[in-house]
Amino acid sequence: MEEQDSETQSSGSGGEEETLKLEPEGLRHDVEDQHVLQFLDSLDGYITLMDSLSLTLRQGWLELASARHSMGASRVNSALLNLKFHSASTSLQVTRNDVDSEANEANFTLCKWASSNSGHSSAGEKFREDKLQTKHDSPDLRHRSKSQFSDETSVQSGASLVADDHVQRERSKSLSVFGTLVSPKLRAAQLSFETALEMLVEIANTRSTMLSAFNRVKKGLEDIKS
Amino acid sequence: MYGFEALTFNIHGGYLEAIVRGHRAGLLTAADYNNLCQCETLEDIKMHLSATEYGPYLQNEPSPLHTTTIVEKCTLKLVDEYKHMLCQATEPLSTFLEYITYGHMIDNVVLIVTGTLHERDVQELLEKCHPLGMFDSIATLAVAQNMRELYRLVLVDTPLAPYFSECITSEDLDDMNIEIMRNTLYKAYLEDFYRFCQKLGGATAEIMSDLLAFEADRRAVNITINSIGTELTRDDRRKLYSSFGLLYPYGHEELAVSEDVDQVRAVMEKYPPYQSIFSKLSYGESQMLDKAFYEEEVKRLCLAFEQQFHYGVFFAYMRLREQEIRNLMWISECVAQNQKSRVHDSVVFIF
Repeated sequence: MEEQDSETQSSGSGGEEETLKLEPEGLRHDVEDQHVLQFLDSLDGYITLMDSLSLTLRQGWLELASARHSMGASRVNSALLNLKFHSASTSLQVTRNDVDSEANEANFTLCKWASSNSGHSSAGEKFREDKLQTKHDSPDLRHRSKSQFSDETSVQSGASLVADDHVQRERSKSLSVFGTLVSPKLRAAQLSFETALEMLVEIANTRSTMLSAFNRVKKGLEDIKS
Repeated sequence: MYGFEALTFNIHGGYLEAIVRGHRAGLLTAADYNNLCQCETLEDIKMHLSATEYGPYLQNEPSPLHTTTIVEKCTLKLVDEYKHMLCQATEPLSTFLEYITYGHMIDNVVLIVTGTLHERDVQELLEKCHPLGMFDSIATLAVAQNMRELYRLVLVDTPLAPYFSECITSEDLDDMNIEIMRNTLYKAYLEDFYRFCQKLGGATAEIMSDLLAFEADRRAVNITINSIGTELTRDDRRKLYSSFGLLYPYGHEELAVSEDVDQVRAVMEKYPPYQSIFSKLSYGESQMLDKAFYEEEVKRLCLAFEQQFHYGVFFAYMRLREQEIRNLMWISECVAQNQKSRVHDSVVFIF
């Protein structure tokens, strides 16, 4: 019994050393699994976004054809597009995360409907903030009594109304090449292509994340081999 | 004198009425549309159309075909038929036939002016103009900076000159002014056409009054819906409505203050002929409104052929052909974009 106890003690002490040796490896496996999961998640997101983009673009092109059918070919054609010099209504900002040298991801940010003439370069960012705000608002919050959140929501709604007005004005301005009184179908086509543009940026970001995760997985595999 | 057209109409108009009724028989039927809707490619559409009157116009077109090519060639057929009728017509039928093309003339003027404002090449713009709306000095439109110059340099010698009196200003042309100019010209044209038909009297006046009134009412609805959410004021909107039609004047007053599609619907449902159109649509929807209006228009145009000895058949035929070309355009787009499930969204059967 004592021998067994001593054996167990000795095996226990050796097991502790093995446990100590196993722990860093176990952690490494956990981290590698996490990287693989991140890669697979971002890959899944990428494929889903590509499908959505394809659907949105198909819808946009059909809506454009529908607008052409409704308004006539003389009102909706490429010969009316403006060749005068004018600033872009939407711009793309690319930044790189240099904090972690292993994860050197590019980050794409879309600045929509930011007219440089009016100097509202932050209008696009404001638009994104408002959009994030609406994403975070869950349906449950809407059912709460208005008195609790009236002060907060009035400030937020005021800001979002200003942004909405600006966005609507910029949208109408870009469509004015086809005339001031355009069919709702043309406006719907514009929204579809706008959504497609947002998706493209999201796809770029997802792809960047995916490639970064892939690099981490690949590095992990190389470490295991070595 | 109404009712006695049979005594004298055939002297000058009999031949052309027979011609136009013959052309009407060549319009595509529901069976043709069913075959076209099942095509997989634009080449299949070309093959099916080769068995119709469009065959000679499409047979020499090389592959790959484009939807705009199909529309262009089909329009060419309509233009050839129109020119034949115009050169055979005597007064007042020749003036009546010319009136039918003034709408296209207005569209061409606006296209050239807008394109010039956007610094586009004039030749490129001329290629996009509708052939029925061409006139000799159309290319000179590119030099005008404002409406006064537009009128003085070019349009004073065209049939559109009388329609410019309401919109001559020295303001520089911009997108809003051009849009108002387009709609003001079209309003003046419709009213002038309406007065001309009233002067002709008889069955022509009766049938054309109905068709032009429907056109005026549909324009009013489209202007209202398209101007929702824009900078166009209520007063400016009201000024663009024609001074005749079923909606004139009380319907126009209500439409001028409408702020969304449901309010437009509430106005239109008070008029029985339009109640049936809006009953096909769900609340808040405007996507299928165009098709509903086109279907009603086609019904009225087909009825014009039920009576003889009037000029309305010429107007009806031109409009039915234009509807047919719109149908072919839509079918071609759905086939080209591989969206055949949506082909029946906008096709309006004529027979």
